[in-house]
Amino acid sequence: MKRVGALLLLLVAGGWAAGAPDLTLPNRATSLKFAAIGDNGTGEVPEYDVGRQMMAYHGRFPFELVIMLGDNLYGRQEARDFVAKFEEPYRPLLNAGVQFYAALGNHDNPSQETYPPFHMGGARYYTYSKRNVRFFALDSNLLDAKQRAWIESALRQSQDDWKICYFHHPLYSDGKTHGSQVDLRVVLEPLFVKYGVNVVFSGHDHVYERLKPQKGITYFVSGAGGQLRKGDVRRSDLTAAQFDQDCSFMLIEVSGDDLFFQAISRTGTTVDSGVVHRRTTS
Amino acid sequence: MNREFRYAVEHSLVVPCGAAIALVWANWSAESYFRFANALAFAVNDVGMAMFFAVMMQEVLEATMVGGALHTWRRAMLPIVAAIGGTIGAIGAYEAVVLSGDERLLAAGWPIVCAIDGGLMYLVVQFLLGKGDARPFVALMVIVSNAIGLIVIGLHQQSANVQWAGPLLIGSGLIVSIALKRLRVRTIWLHVVISGAFMWWGFWWSGLHPALALVPIVPFLPRAPRGLTFFVDSSPHDSSRHLEHVFRIPEQIILLLFALVNGGAVVHAVERGAWAVPAGAFIGRPIGTLVAVGIAVWLGLRLPARLGRRELVVIACAASCSFTFGLFFTTAVFPLGPVLTEAKVGALSTLAGVLLAIAAAWLFAVGRFSSGILRPPRASPKRQGRFRGRPVYRE
Repeated sequence: MKRVGALLLLLVAGGWAAGAPDLTLPNRATSLKFAAIGDNGTGEVPEYDVGRQMMAYHGRFPFELVIMLGDNLYGRQEARDFVAKFEEPYRPLLNAGVQFYAALGNHDNPSQETYPPFHMGGARYYTYSKRNVRFFALDSNLLDAKQRAWIESALRQSQDDWKICYFHHPLYSDGKTHGSQVDLRVVLEPLFVKYGVNVVFSGHDHVYERLKPQKGITYFVSGAGGQLRKGDVRRSDLTAAQFDQDCSFMLIEVSGDDLFFQAISRTGTTVDSGVVHRRTTS
Repeated sequence: MNREFRYAVEHSLVVPCGAAIALVWANWSAESYFRFANALAFAVNDVGMAMFFAVMMQEVLEATMVGGALHTWRRAMLPIVAAIGGTIGAIGAYEAVVLSGDERLLAAGWPIVCAIDGGLMYLVVQFLLGKGDARPFVALMVIVSNAIGLIVIGLHQQSANVQWAGPLLIGSGLIVSIALKRLRVRTIWLHVVISGAFMWWGFWWSGLHPALALVPIVPFLPRAPRGLTFFVDSSPHDSSRHLEHVFRIPEQIILLLFALVNGGAVVHAVERGAWAVPAGAFIGRPIGTLVAVGIAVWLGLRLPARLGRRELVVIACAASCSFTFGLFFTTAVFPLGPVLTEAKVGALSTLAGVLLAIAAAWLFAVGRFSSGILRPPRASPKRQGRFRGRPVYRE
C-alpha cells in the first residue's frame, strides 16, 4: 500500500513538474517584467496555444505588459476579428490586467491605432516608459521623414536607463523568406547607436532568432507568435540562437543593469535564454 | 557627347542601365548600396528631378502649339480617352490585387500605375510600327497618363515642413519669372537658378512635390522656335535657348543617378506589392485602353489613319512599361521601407512590357511582323476607311 502511495505521489509530482513552466528568469520583485509576441493574429490554433502557454507562465512570472511586434491581425479586420484573433486568444491575460502595446506590421490595418487594447493612442509610432525602461514602438512599414525626425527627437530626450525599440521588420535576420531589412538599417541603426538603444525586437520572419550584438545592440526576431515557417532560418556569422520548429514567444525581465530573456515554444520548452548587460553611452 | 553616351540617350538606356547596376549592387552589397542611395535620395529625387519634369513640361507646352499633338481637341480626343481608360484599368487591376489580400497600406499606391515610361514606349512603338501615326497617339497617351499621376503625387507629398510662406514663395517665383521674361533675359540658367529657387522652396513649404517646382515657370522660359513635339519631331533641338538642349547633359546625369538611387531593391520574396504593380500595368492598362478606345470609336471618334485595331493592341501593350516614371511615382508615394521596396520591384518588372508589346506585334502580325518574319516596318503605308481591324494598305 505504501509503495502504491509513493508511486502515486511520484506520478503527481512528476506530472506537476512536467506541466509547470520552466522559468530561467530571476523573477525579482522589483523588476520590470514583460512578454513579446510577433506575427500572432491568425485566430488559429497555434495562436491560442501560445496564448495559453503565456498565461501558464504568467502564473509564475507575472509580466505586466506584452509588446506586439506587428501582424497583430491577419486577413479580415472587422470588429469580430479583433475578438477572434486577439481578445479570445489572450482573454485570460487581458482579464489579469496585462496590457498590450502594439506596433504595426505589413498585414495590419492602420485603423488598429485606435483600438484601445493596443494602447497606440491613435498614432503609428509612439513611446512610453515603465520604471527605468523606455519603449519606442515604430512603424517600419513607412519610415517617412516625419517619423525619422520623431524617433531621433524621442531618443535624444530619453533619460531612461534602458531604451528598447520594437517594430515589425527586422534590421538583422537570418530568415530565408524575408531576412534583414537593410534599407531601414542604414537609417535607424546610426540613431540607435548614437542615442544608446540597448535592445531591439522585431518580427516578420516567422521564426525565433537572437543575433550577436551588432554595434553594441542586441537584436531579437520573434515572429512566430501564431505563424510558423518551419526550417526558414539559416545560420550565419550573426547568429547567436535560433528556433524554427514551432511557434514561440518571449519573456523579458529588466532588473537594474541587466535584461534577462527567455524564449519559449508553444509547448512550453525553453529554446533560448540569457542576459543582456546595459551598455553605457557617453 | 561621346558615341556611347549619345547611343544610351537616344535609345532610352540610361535608366534601365542605371537600374540594372543598382539592382545588382543592392543584392551584392546591400549596406553600401543603401548608404549611397540614402545619401543621394533627397538631392536626386526632390531637387535634380525638377530638371526632368521641366523638360517634360516643355514637351507638353510644345504639343499644344500649332502642329503639336495636342493642338486640336479632335486630334487629341482619342488618345486622351485611351490614356484615361488605360489609367482607370491599371488602377482597377492594381487595387483588385491589393484588396484581395490584407496589406492595406499598398492601397495608397494606386498613383504608381498611372505611370508610362514615355521614352521607352516611344522607342518600342517606333521599332515595331515604324514612324507612322502611332507616335503622336503615343505621345498624348504618355502625357495624359503621367499628368494624372503627377497631379495626384504633387498633392500627395507630405512635407514635414509645411509653412505659410510656401504659397508666397511660389507667387514670388512666378513674378520673378515673368519679370525676367519681360526683361528679355535669354539665359535659361538664370531663370532656373533665381525663380527656380523661389519655386522649389515654395513647393517644399506648401507640401507639394518639389520635383515639380520648375513646371509652372516653363512657359516663361526663353524658347527658340521649333516644330512639333519631342515625340514626333526627329530634328535635334540644339538651340542654346531651348530647355531640352540646355538640360540635355545634366538631365541625363540626373536620370542615371535617379536610376542608381531608386533602382536597387533586395529581392527576398515577391510580395503582393510586387505583383499588384505589374498586374495594373500588364492587365489593367491594356484592357482599359482597348475598352475605352472601343467605346469611343463606337460613339463616333475616329482612329488615326494607318492605325488599326491590331496596332492599337500593340500600343496598349507598350503602354504597360511604367519603368522610369513608375519608379519616380513609387518613391513619391511611399516613404522608405518594405512597402516601397515591394512597389519598386513591381515598377522595375514593368520593363517586361517591352516583351509584351513585341509578343503582341508578333501575335497580330503587325509592323515588323506583318509578313510573319521580323523585318523593318513599311515606310509609309496608306490606309483607307475607319477602324476596320487590320489596316488596308495601298501598294
